[in-house]
Amino acid sequence: MIELEAIRKRYLRPSGEPGADYVEAVAGVTLRIERGDFIAITGTSGSGKSTLMNILGLLDRPSSGRYSFNGEDVASLGVTEQARFRNERVGFVFQAFHLLPRTSALENVELPLLYSNRAQIDGLGKRALEAVGLADRIQHTPSELSGGQQQRVAIARALVNEPDLLLADEPTGNLDQQSASEVMEILGKLNADGKTIVVVTHDHAIAAHAKRIVRIENGRLQ
Amino acid sequence: MKRARLFTTSIRALRRYKLRTSFIMLGSFIGAAALTLVVSVGEAAERKVMATVRQLFGAQSILVMTGGSQLMGGARADAVRLTLDDVESAASEVPQIVAWDPQQAVPNASVRHEGATATARVIGASERFGRVWERGVTRGETFDESDVRSAARVALIGETAARELFGANDPIGSEILIGNVPFEVIGVLEPFGTDLHGMDRDDEIVVPLSTLMRRVMNVDTIAAAKFLVDDPAHVDGAVKALKRALRERHNIPAGRPDDFTVISTVFVQQMVARTQRVLQLYLPLVAGIALLVAAIVAATLMLASVNARVGEIGLRRAVGARVEDVQLQFLIETAATMFAGGIAGIAAGLGVAQYAATRLHLDGTLSWRAMLLAVVVSIITGLLAGVFPARRAAQLDPAEALR
Repeated sequence: MIELEAIRKRYLRPSGEPGADYVEAVAGVTLRIERGDFIAITGTSGSGKSTLMNILGLLDRPSSGRYSFNGEDVASLGVTEQARFRNERVGFVFQAFHLLPRTSALENVELPLLYSNRAQIDGLGKRALEAVGLADRIQHTPSELSGGQQQRVAIARALVNEPDLLLADEPTGNLDQQSASEVMEILGKLNADGKTIVVVTHDHAIAAHAKRIVRIENGRLQ
Repeated sequence: MKRARLFTTSIRALRRYKLRTSFIMLGSFIGAAALTLVVSVGEAAERKVMATVRQLFGAQSILVMTGGSQLMGGARADAVRLTLDDVESAASEVPQIVAWDPQQAVPNASVRHEGATATARVIGASERFGRVWERGVTRGETFDESDVRSAARVALIGETAARELFGANDPIGSEILIGNVPFEVIGVLEPFGTDLHGMDRDDEIVVPLSTLMRRVMNVDTIAAAKFLVDDPAHVDGAVKALKRALRERHNIPAGRPDDFTVISTVFVQQMVARTQRVLQLYLPLVAGIALLVAAIVAATLMLASVNARVGEIGLRRAVGARVEDVQLQFLIETAATMFAGGIAGIAAGLGVAQYAATRLHLDGTLSWRAMLLAVVVSIITGLLAGVFPARRAAQLDPAEALR
């Protein structure tokens, strides 16, 4: 489904710092991800794993290399097409949840539908919340939910538009052990139902939930 | 469909940040209220001024008042002497003058009828009063030349004074005391309303000039005289001729200022034009600046809000918001808040204008021009205030915003 070929991401080094005039966060990554895969990308902080995930989700554009998604070259898409790609093809889950405060779980989950071209959106948000086991919490605001519940709302939000790919960046980083394994169980179940999942983590116990683990160091896969 | 959802989400965001929303609304509320108030009252006042000017001053009128070049009403009558002979001889030297009426007045005379007491302005005038001031009687009759010659104790009474002294009874034929001098009421004056100074011109009593001067005031000077000229085109010439004649009679050497004041339509029009500029331009401008300040405050608050909501913006981009969706959201948030505050401000401004109008005896303050102006200005300032925060929000890099 996904083919990355020699992906590089360079940032300009702030002037005055020693070394080359750019930093390479991702230094030539080639990776294939098949449909239905559950892959964990591990590495220490600063290894380039988050940058790689942002490139996979088209939140960031590679400096060079080829990115093909379902056979389509998506790295060269225009800004508006990229937004549409993020809306329809991928769902993001972040370490910090990024839920809107003082807004109900349902409204948070429905946020991607706001930017969707779908004509029919009724019931999708509720169904996504049911899928993460929060059918009884739809009117709760984030401050009324535990950390684990908040992350499950965020997962429901990532699922609501029925994307091909779920990208999770340290999804358990802000959670206790109990909630963390709950979240990973949900991801495992979603994968069992056919969803392709990429999890970025520095935690080997979390990575162990995946079918496949790739290690990234200094921007290169090991 | 998508646009409608985007609009709803912007409005929902306003609910999430109630304090910020209230402050932005307060700003545009005050600005729009001030603008509406100033324009409505300004328009009503201007209508009033123009109506009163027309009432007081036809295009063919000239008013001469005793005292040097002070503005209307401020003449120092005690220092100089304007006599009936002065104006009579001046009028006779200007052939374009077709009629004239001399006047003297007691501003706050105590007037009694049986048990009732009232304070009224008592004016002494000639029998030409009705023609020159275009004010007749609605009941009874006016006094004539023989009444003026014989200093007859007859009076025309305004409706306010009549109500105060007689209640619902017919005043005609009754006796009133002005000071201690008895007068017979022979007519009721046409209603006039309030004048430029907010004075109730129906709280007036008009008596023959000679009677007022000799029997009530014991003076031999007059306060003013109004002249009618045969043609509006002759007013300027007549003004010059009157001034020359009066200066000559008062032996005023060249270079010394007049000891009387001449007011003509031209002068009044200039004054009204000056007032109009203030009412129509400067005051709304000041109120508009209040809205502009509100817009700057709104822009600042919204910029702070964008900075505080970087995560939200990043997330929206991540779930598929296009740059223009984010931009539009913040534009709508700002403009809708300013607009809502503005609408409330317009309602409040109209309310206050109505109240002020009642106090100032103006009518018809419901000004469509004021409402339209305030609506347009608050929309424009709202959009202006939203542009910067919206651009800032749109320029954020999504990957960085989510970090």
